[in-house]
Amino acid sequence: MSNLIYGLSRAMAWFGALVLTVLAALTVTSIGGRAFSFAGLGPVPGDFELVEAGTALAVFCFLPWAHLKRSHATVDILWKAFSVRTRLALDVLAEGLMLVVWLLLVWRMSIGMHDYYKNGELTFILQFPVWWGYALSMPPAVVGCIAYLWRLLETIGVVATPPGDVAAYGVH
Amino acid sequence: MNPLLLAAWSMPVMLGLIFARVPIGLSMLVVGLIGSWQVYGSAAPLLNQMKTLAYGQFSTHSLAIVPLFLLMGQFASLGGMSQALFKGAEAFIGHRKGGVAMAAIGACAGFGSICGSSLATAATMGQVALPELRRAGYAGSLATGALAAGGTLGILIPPSIVLVIYAILAEQNIAKMFAAAFIPGILAALGYMVVIDIVVRVNPKLAGQIEPLPWPERWQALAAVWPVLLIFVTVIGGIYSGIFTPTEGAAVGAAATGVLAWIRGGLSRDKLLRAFEATASGTAMVFMIVLGAAAYNTFLALSQLPQELASWVGGQGFGPFQVLWAILVFYLVFGCVMDSLSMILLTIPIFFPMISGLDFGLTPEETAIWFGILVLIVVEVGLITPPVGMNLFVIQSMAPDIPMRETYRGVWPFVVSDLVRVAMLVMFPAITLFVLRL
Repeated sequence: MSNLIYGLSRAMAWFGALVLTVLAALTVTSIGGRAFSFAGLGPVPGDFELVEAGTALAVFCFLPWAHLKRSHATVDILWKAFSVRTRLALDVLAEGLMLVVWLLLVWRMSIGMHDYYKNGELTFILQFPVWWGYALSMPPAVVGCIAYLWRLLETIGVVATPPGDVAAYGVH
Repeated sequence: MNPLLLAAWSMPVMLGLIFARVPIGLSMLVVGLIGSWQVYGSAAPLLNQMKTLAYGQFSTHSLAIVPLFLLMGQFASLGGMSQALFKGAEAFIGHRKGGVAMAAIGACAGFGSICGSSLATAATMGQVALPELRRAGYAGSLATGALAAGGTLGILIPPSIVLVIYAILAEQNIAKMFAAAFIPGILAALGYMVVIDIVVRVNPKLAGQIEPLPWPERWQALAAVWPVLLIFVTVIGGIYSGIFTPTEGAAVGAAATGVLAWIRGGLSRDKLLRAFEATASGTAMVFMIVLGAAAYNTFLALSQLPQELASWVGGQGFGPFQVLWAILVFYLVFGCVMDSLSMILLTIPIFFPMISGLDFGLTPEETAIWFGILVLIVVEVGLITPPVGMNLFVIQSMAPDIPMRETYRGVWPFVVSDLVRVAMLVMFPAITLFVLRL
């Protein structure tokens, strides 16, 4: 299970970066088209909207991996002064908050998606429904919930931390 | 509770969470959401706002510049640009006293011109230059200090992710901010080189000596640097002249460095995936903070605290420069423990209205740009000041045999150079602004 969650998060991170690379290529194509508009070419229609939806997708894909690898910015200046029990309690607090907040956000995001689905709002240029962007980002957002739950379980000690985890206790 | 009081109380609570090692972005997010809920007096408006909070922030077009610049920095390093820059600079000044360290600073400045992140610059240049410095007989303290300081050039010299975030918060033109950052960035690089010169004059044992290269080899080494120059001119020139938007410029940079890395054979499967993971971690870190700051700043705006504070400061009869210095000192102190981007996102919504309300004898736009550059420099000082200087840690992790106190000792002359530069830029706003007045 641990391998599956870590593997999936990592694969999503790769996929997100690939999406970014494609967005960069798309943007360059669009600028090229605009530059040669005298020759009958033109910018990629709706490149602006595609970059927006694509970036959101990429960020949602990156978040679980970054969390599992403990890449988020933290301040650990007091950390060494805490006892092992305090550290554990604080880690459970941090992981618990992350899970609760994310569950809340994903729940509200799904309602937001449903709202856009019902009102049928379209993007300005490409005229694709706004809810499509939400729908694309939904699966990685849900994987986020699973990853954060898993990290919480690891912290409590219900499941084993993978070898080489940077923040395992006692290593500091 | 009175919203103002609530907002005032939210800060120690949030700092408490942050010091309990809750991720900074998450701390802001939690406190911001709870605060808004309290100000609204019911959950419904907050739940409504949360429907678009995450997706709305992540799909902001101007923020797409962040992952694209991070990707660009990764590709640039895979394309061997860091190596070429260092070799090019070393070929010309390496044989001087302290020259290899100066070359490392020059290479950091060059890499900073195609990379918008300090940590990436420190990490990349550290890998290339640290072994060379040790081989040339440089003392550990000078090697790590110079590279940690040089890393900050990644963000002082445009493109710069922190500057992009400031421009968005203060509603300023990103292209003009980049242009204004250029001269202070060059001054930073020169200042660091002067520091190295002084340090090795005072204590010649700190630096080793290498043989000068024959001139044909020097030109050859310099010639290898042309892609960096071409990419910098295309991206920054294109953004500044308005040929493309900043986000498009970042896309052009990422694509160009990607092609370069591919041509130079740097894109092996394994290296590419590591670069992708580094981009993912960096991007996620930034956007987590952006998300938290969005929630927290919405709460602050609801509470009216920034406006009240700005009008209070305005009514106290403080001189403009007193307020400015107080803010800069605040950043220097907090920078010792806080991450630069979080500080900017948290404090600019509070400090910017204060500064905008004061008269420095500049136009409002000039004041905003000048203040942004000053803030950029002081928060970056935080990256190299103990105890929590991220650049120090990055460099330290590459040289485990150098004790941390050596690194601390080595870096302080560079901090002094930063402070001198800040004082200069405060006293003479024209240094920053003259590019825009041309």
